[in-house]
Amino acid sequence: MHQRWLAEQLPEWERDGIITAAGARLLRERYPVEPRGGLAQMIVGAVGALLVGTGLIAVLAYNWDDFPRWVRLGLALGPLAASQAASWWVLGRGESAKPWMRESAALVQTLAVGAAMALVSQIYNLPGTWTDLVFWWCLVAVPLAWVFRSDAVAIAYLIGIAVWTVAQAEAHGSWFSRGDVADVRIWFPLLLSGILPRWPGPNLHDRPQPGSRLVLAGSVLVGLLAVAAYAGIRPREPNNASFWLAMLSGAAVLLFPLERSGIEEPLSRKPQVLLGGCTVLGLALIATYEDPARELVKSVGFGLPLGWCWLLLAVVAGFAILAYRQGRFAELAIAAVALVPLLAAPLSAPDASGWPVAIASSLVLLATAIALIALEFIGYRGAARIGAALITLLVILRMADAGVSLLVKGLAFIVIGSGFLGFNAFVSRRRAAAPGGTPA
Amino acid sequence: MRPAAIVFAIAVAAQWIVPLSGIWLQERTIARGVALRIECAAPDPYDPLRGRYLAVQPAEVKLAAPAGMPDADVVPVWATLVAGDDGLSRIESLALEPVAGPTVIRLSGVKRRSGEAGDEALLTWPFDRFYLNERLGPDADRIVAERFRAGSRPVAEIRVFEGRAVLTDVLLDGVSIREVVKEPRT
Repeated sequence: MHQRWLAEQLPEWERDGIITAAGARLLRERYPVEPRGGLAQMIVGAVGALLVGTGLIAVLAYNWDDFPRWVRLGLALGPLAASQAASWWVLGRGESAKPWMRESAALVQTLAVGAAMALVSQIYNLPGTWTDLVFWWCLVAVPLAWVFRSDAVAIAYLIGIAVWTVAQAEAHGSWFSRGDVADVRIWFPLLLSGILPRWPGPNLHDRPQPGSRLVLAGSVLVGLLAVAAYAGIRPREPNNASFWLAMLSGAAVLLFPLERSGIEEPLSRKPQVLLGGCTVLGLALIATYEDPARELVKSVGFGLPLGWCWLLLAVVAGFAILAYRQGRFAELAIAAVALVPLLAAPLSAPDASGWPVAIASSLVLLATAIALIALEFIGYRGAARIGAALITLLVILRMADAGVSLLVKGLAFIVIGSGFLGFNAFVSRRRAAAPGGTPA
Repeated sequence: MRPAAIVFAIAVAAQWIVPLSGIWLQERTIARGVALRIECAAPDPYDPLRGRYLAVQPAEVKLAAPAGMPDADVVPVWATLVAGDDGLSRIESLALEPVAGPTVIRLSGVKRRSGEAGDEALLTWPFDRFYLNERLGPDADRIVAERFRAGSRPVAEIRVFEGRAVLTDVLLDGVSIREVVKEPRT
């Protein structure tokens, strides 16, 4: 993506005398633009491969029990061999292979190996959950995402490892915990590192497309929340540190370091900021109620002895320092909410009412919202609309559970809604009036 | 050879090793294992990747815990099965250490305190499902339920070899469930 942007800028830079023709040629050679082959072609290729592959799985899953075992094994392994041969042919074409060919070959082979494993499992009535199968499927398929630079396989891999991690955390938390539950505190980071050869790739320059970014951020967040549940819960014990660990996980995702160009991008292209921020703010909003507030403070006490908790704190601290240096104050303001329970815990007596913490959570969220608005008005990169939305949400929540008549609540909602819409229009006009600004 | 080709070759090898290792282990057990029959129950669930199956749960899932079984943790236990006069095999003994024998199966167990009756071991068998054709699955489910209500319990036919068990068939009144569901209804 950056290469394409660079290639588009070079002629203008040459015209304006910013760089010489030789310099432009050097840059073109150093950052070649991969022929895109058309997004439509890629999508059609991926959809076609998906249909072929899922059709294959469905046909095999029919369970042809009229055939002898060796015929069924042949049905399972034959398509795998054929898809591997086709992939080898595509690989042999090297750079002349169109992106849609690489994508299709990788996806069909991925689905063929999944079908083969599922059918072998079916033929021999193998036990185990379907998520166990997903784990092995992910392991043997992810190299195809690297070799063929396949986004579809990378996305499937990310979804697969998130699903498997959630399944492990769920099995760990159940009363009859299985003995073979994997320690996802180790496995999830390991599995996640499997995507590195695709993004950022060996040259450290490959960036996921916006849609892939969303899946990447979502999978990381879901996986980390599952790890938080795994690390925070001990089977058959009431202690639960997951609440706070989940907030810290959200803060870590929110503060994930960005390049300078990434900071300038709109929020819609930074799903990790959106999802991480929503997680932190969502959990903090839940903690504005008495019982969850008490549980949140308790979870700090249960969490502090855990190694995973300290690892998360270290990661959040490291990311926060980088974010501070880059002037990402809005993200820092939201992430700081996750540290409030740590400050509240020593001040709260065991078995005390949750109300002081709930009220403190409300006030902290209000302060965060004001900070998000103020940042924008004093010339920093803020998030005025999100701040306004947060204030609106807080007022709505407090009004909803207030003991006042429906008429008063209705009128209050009308006033709040009008104020929010008015503020939204004001921010839009202000941004449009700024130099080089557009209504946002 | 290019690095991409090497990675691809390793991936292809792994894609064959995973299913083939499963095939090899199961085929060895089927070919060389001892055939046993175990009474069980069989409700009807669905696996999103592998299709319809009968959930197979052997009747013996709770037995007196062997001495020294640890609390809370799931641990491997070795069950020695012995065939009765009715042709059905039942667990004769449980051990926490590996036991040699042609009818020994490695199970998973967790200890549960059971009041006056003493400690119990809750057992998990190394097979829990029998896959069926999508077309036959609903009929199999219905027939198993009907026969179960009439007092006839399904029987799991397994092969046992070196502690490993493979489920080869589920029988209803001595006849394979696959044959039973293909019989015309009277």
